[in-house]
Amino acid sequence: MSFKTILSAAMALAIGAAVATSAQAQAPKASPLVTGEWLEKNANDPKVRIVEVSVEPGLFERGHIPNAQNIVWHTDLVDTVRRDVATQEKFQDLVRKLGIEKDSTVVLYGDNNNWFAAWGAWIFKSYGFENVKLLDGGRKKWEAEKRPFDTRVASVAPSKVTVSAFDKKLRANLAAVSDVVANKSNVTIVDIRSADEYSGKIFAPAGSQELAVRAGHIPGALNVPWGRAVNEDGTIKSVDELKKLYAAAGIDGSKPIIVYCRIGERSSHTWFVLSQILGYDVRNYDGSWTEYGNTVGLPVINVAGTVWGGK
Amino acid sequence: MTTTLQKTERETPGASPASFALSRFGWRGAVSAALLVALLFVAYALHGAGQAGLSLSLIFGAAFGIVLQRSRFCFFCNFREWYDDGDARGLIGIIVALAVGVVGYTVVFGSWLPDASTGRLPPDAFIGPVSYVLVLAGLAFGAGMAISGSCVSAHLYRLGEGSPTSPFALIGTVVGFILGFLSWNTLYLGAVAEAPSVWLPRWLGYAGALLAALVVLAAVAWLLSLRARNTVSSPAHDDQWRKIFVERWPAWIGGAIVGVLGTAAYLRVGPLGVTAEIGGRARQAGTALGIVPQRLEGLDTLRGCITVVRDALLSNNGVFIIALVVAAFAAAFTAGQFKPSWPSGGQITRGLTGGVLLGWGAMTGLGCTVGTFLSGVSAGALSGWIFGAAIFASVAATLFVGRRVGLLSKPTA
Repeated sequence: MSFKTILSAAMALAIGAAVATSAQAQAPKASPLVTGEWLEKNANDPKVRIVEVSVEPGLFERGHIPNAQNIVWHTDLVDTVRRDVATQEKFQDLVRKLGIEKDSTVVLYGDNNNWFAAWGAWIFKSYGFENVKLLDGGRKKWEAEKRPFDTRVASVAPSKVTVSAFDKKLRANLAAVSDVVANKSNVTIVDIRSADEYSGKIFAPAGSQELAVRAGHIPGALNVPWGRAVNEDGTIKSVDELKKLYAAAGIDGSKPIIVYCRIGERSSHTWFVLSQILGYDVRNYDGSWTEYGNTVGLPVINVAGTVWGGK
Repeated sequence: MTTTLQKTERETPGASPASFALSRFGWRGAVSAALLVALLFVAYALHGAGQAGLSLSLIFGAAFGIVLQRSRFCFFCNFREWYDDGDARGLIGIIVALAVGVVGYTVVFGSWLPDASTGRLPPDAFIGPVSYVLVLAGLAFGAGMAISGSCVSAHLYRLGEGSPTSPFALIGTVVGFILGFLSWNTLYLGAVAEAPSVWLPRWLGYAGALLAALVVLAAVAWLLSLRARNTVSSPAHDDQWRKIFVERWPAWIGGAIVGVLGTAAYLRVGPLGVTAEIGGRARQAGTALGIVPQRLEGLDTLRGCITVVRDALLSNNGVFIIALVVAAFAAAFTAGQFKPSWPSGGQITRGLTGGVLLGWGAMTGLGCTVGTFLSGVSAGALSGWIFGAAIFASVAATLFVGRRVGLLSKPTA
């Protein structure tokens, strides 16, 4: 049933956007999402590169979408010494190894509702790759649709692509965020964490290693937990539903947006939804709460009044 | 030897599997068959509920339990049979398990990581840090085996045989785990943090590591045979059913099945191991009681049997262990080897003391004879070999000293 909904949503999108060209061929180009059906058909297209970014280790190795290649988020996409995304040089080595060209269509997918795949998409976009898409519903949906997995390694010739410098337009730093807080710029900040993290009832979800020593949220931030943008089956809601959801929270794209969460990964999901699907001007604040909440002297709203170290 | 079976031996086998089991093995066979069917049904239901991992873990656990019980795949007993009676067959069975496991893992690795030299380690394999802590862990674990009479996996299948010692050994293991958590931060910062996790294929290549492992295993088998004395083999007879369901399986067959099972489990769910759930629950209990430190340095980043505290009621490893015990019981029950008895004071003491050592060793060694040793050696981890060597050295030393001072019973002639 949900598959029908997506299909009709994709159709509506194609028709809405459309000139009278073949809707089928255009759909993937127009939409930042691809369906399992499309991906299965196009998995052998040399212009399509499929990349899995999953949180759980061993998932990729035990079975991945045929022709997919693996990116390990905690080593491949970050600088392992400084707190930062992978350097231009490191990322270039990675995409060359994956055989990705500038005009390749990069389809990312992963476990956990594409969290880390969306984070990967943010990094690919930031390094100047235009055709970056998510497999709608990720691993979960692919499996639910009973599509095949493969354990063999994709044989891909390395590319000689040159990666452009990191595009700062997609990323917000601490200074940008504190400017918003000080009313120096007219930007909407969206906190996509759970309501309990936002209110300051808890410092972080249970089991999270990285913490801030203050609870609460950035003053003025609106709370729309990322999961509200997702259907039960892991697919992203339709454009209309998304517009309604965010408009109800006061986010309509009329102002630039900054999204954040705890460490910047979950917020990539909302970044993807708002910028790639709704076309809003969105920056991801990857320092997120572990940077802001740990910074000395910045204002914090803590409705719950939880005190660090206190009883 | 049981006689119940011989009474029914001449009856005509029934037409349906159930009546066949009933006619051959009486009501005990029927109970065991019903238990196994129930396990399969749960596996089927779990799979239907989208829990493929749990479902497979259950099947692997049941298969492992049956093989352990039927072939007495017990690291300690097999060693003692050789040590006391010069019967090397059990130890050769372990060597066969390791050899099959190494071959199987190599096949899997080749598909997952075509190039072993990239510096990346294969996912979830038991490739642990090599330091003096690993040796200490092996020594403690070996002593625990000698004192309590088994390692953790064998205590689990013996639970299914109604062993009076095993429940106390497992309680001791939980206590030992908590003690391990208490000493962990010191050990980690003192040695483990800087210890290298040596993966042999990275240095020798897949072919080199495979060859080296097989050569070492062959050499050990040859050394064992030097000491082996003539052993009386059980009289041969033609009753195949009896050979399968009542008599002890030849150790090498058990070993070969364990090797295949280890490979299949690694391919589909994760490496074989029996202490992750015990460790996870011990940590949960210790944290709830406020005695285990909130932060265990580096532990969640290391590979091994010890995993993060999970909130889930059922983990893969938990299901694996429950199925192991249930299936071992079913196997023992059919064979008339389920013999529960009241524990004696000595059994309680030895179980608890040995169990504490097993638990401490399994925590600080990041696994047990199945995880760190069997799955580790299969995975080409240096840590597996070192842990194994420390365990068996310690078993020998503990038996020798324990018998000298009269704390452990001497071999029955």
